[in-house]
Amino acid sequence: MSGKGGSAPHPTTYSPSPQNQKRPKSLIFKDNVDWVRPDGRGFQHCRPAFLRTGAVNAASGSAYAEFGNTKVIVSVFGPRESKKAQMYSDIGRLNCNVSYTTFATPVRGQGADHKEFSSVLHKALEGAIILESFPKTTVDVFALVLESGGSDLPVVISCASLALADAGIRMYDLVTSVSVSCLGKNLVIDPIFEEENCQDGSLIIACMPSRNEVTQLTITGEWSTPKIHEAMQLCLDACAKLGMVMRSCLKETASSQE
Amino acid sequence: MGMVEREEEEEEMVTPGEVLGKATELKAGRGAYVAPHNKTVYASLTGRRSLIPPPSDSSDQRPTVEVTGHKAHGAVPVPGSTVIVRVTRVMAKMASADIICVGTKAVKEKFSGIIRQQDVRATEIDKVDMHASFRPGDIVRALVLSLGDARAYYLSTAQNELGVVSAESAAGATMVPISWTEMQCPLSGQIEQRKVAKVGGQ
Repeated sequence: MSGKGGSAPHPTTYSPSPQNQKRPKSLIFKDNVDWVRPDGRGFQHCRPAFLRTGAVNAASGSAYAEFGNTKVIVSVFGPRESKKAQMYSDIGRLNCNVSYTTFATPVRGQGADHKEFSSVLHKALEGAIILESFPKTTVDVFALVLESGGSDLPVVISCASLALADAGIRMYDLVTSVSVSCLGKNLVIDPIFEEENCQDGSLIIACMPSRNEVTQLTITGEWSTPKIHEAMQLCLDACAKLGMVMRSCLKETASSQE
Repeated sequence: MGMVEREEEEEEMVTPGEVLGKATELKAGRGAYVAPHNKTVYASLTGRRSLIPPPSDSSDQRPTVEVTGHKAHGAVPVPGSTVIVRVTRVMAKMASADIICVGTKAVKEKFSGIIRQQDVRATEIDKVDMHASFRPGDIVRALVLSLGDARAYYLSTAQNELGVVSAESAAGATMVPISWTEMQCPLSGQIEQRKVAKVGGQ
């Protein structure tokens, strides 16, 4: 406590000292190759994944995922009857909803630009589900982001596919998703919140690792073709590894239930 | 690989997308599917993998591989399955019912079904009186005929074992079946008309 020559043992007024008002220096120097990521990871290291299924008892299937500071919980209901107003369809329907809690971001209620995540999740998952196995009915997927620590959408997609597998919905394969950020000349995998805010471009891939098929690819920002190739290669590799982690999580839950 | 004749099943946990074998050696049963482009059998559910030997008289001697889900997750009505329904409304030409069980499993959320006049019984189908066959609140065993339309599954009770299984009389007691068209209330002795299911081996 650098009091300004005050003789009192502790300050009686709460007023910030001028020297503390400087903003912290920006942690990321984009052109300097030697900078270290804020959480100490290498450029091509993903965060360790914590995955659990069966988190929600009321749902047909559910999963909880924690990737560093990004925490997501997904519940799956279904197959259940479609709303009466909808037309007959001889294949099943998928209904996705992604919402942020009010405490998910540092500033309360700032998840306003994530409204399109629901349709993005829908497009990523519908290619992997065998819709013909539940005609006329609907499967509802509700994703809730409890804390947004960067790379939210990939975590939501992976967690949702784990919840669908837990619910016993027939799928062609699990869907895993990883994103890569382009910061100046560097490619950084699995970006955190601060890295995402100053990125030049991002690439998100959702793929089915065992069948080697991509269900969705989203590229934003400035990219050159060789960089895109490199980023896709990184992502596909990480997706395959994440797929193995997800499979072992499913098998563990399934064996412990018997 | 030469499959030695084994009676016991291979117990192995699989997850969706795992390779179960080649399509030339295995047939895909429940919980598995064949990918056409590389002729491989993959799993589509999480569960235990089991092999079913082929019937000895069929020409195709490939065993069938099945994945049985570990979870008793909710069932969905499938054409040809027997369901238990509760009648909600009875009208002149049809009765609406909520499907509450499929086979032996209860559903998590009800599905809607209807029993049309021509599907109540097998004989004299145009002379059926719906109010003499079902009343609201009856528990009925029925067969799913088809997926129906957008609103409801089509159900049928046109067999001896199908029909009202349990009903409450006007007095509030569970009625006793006395024939295939009548049930009697034990409290008041009143006889009410229903399309009764033949339960047991009588």
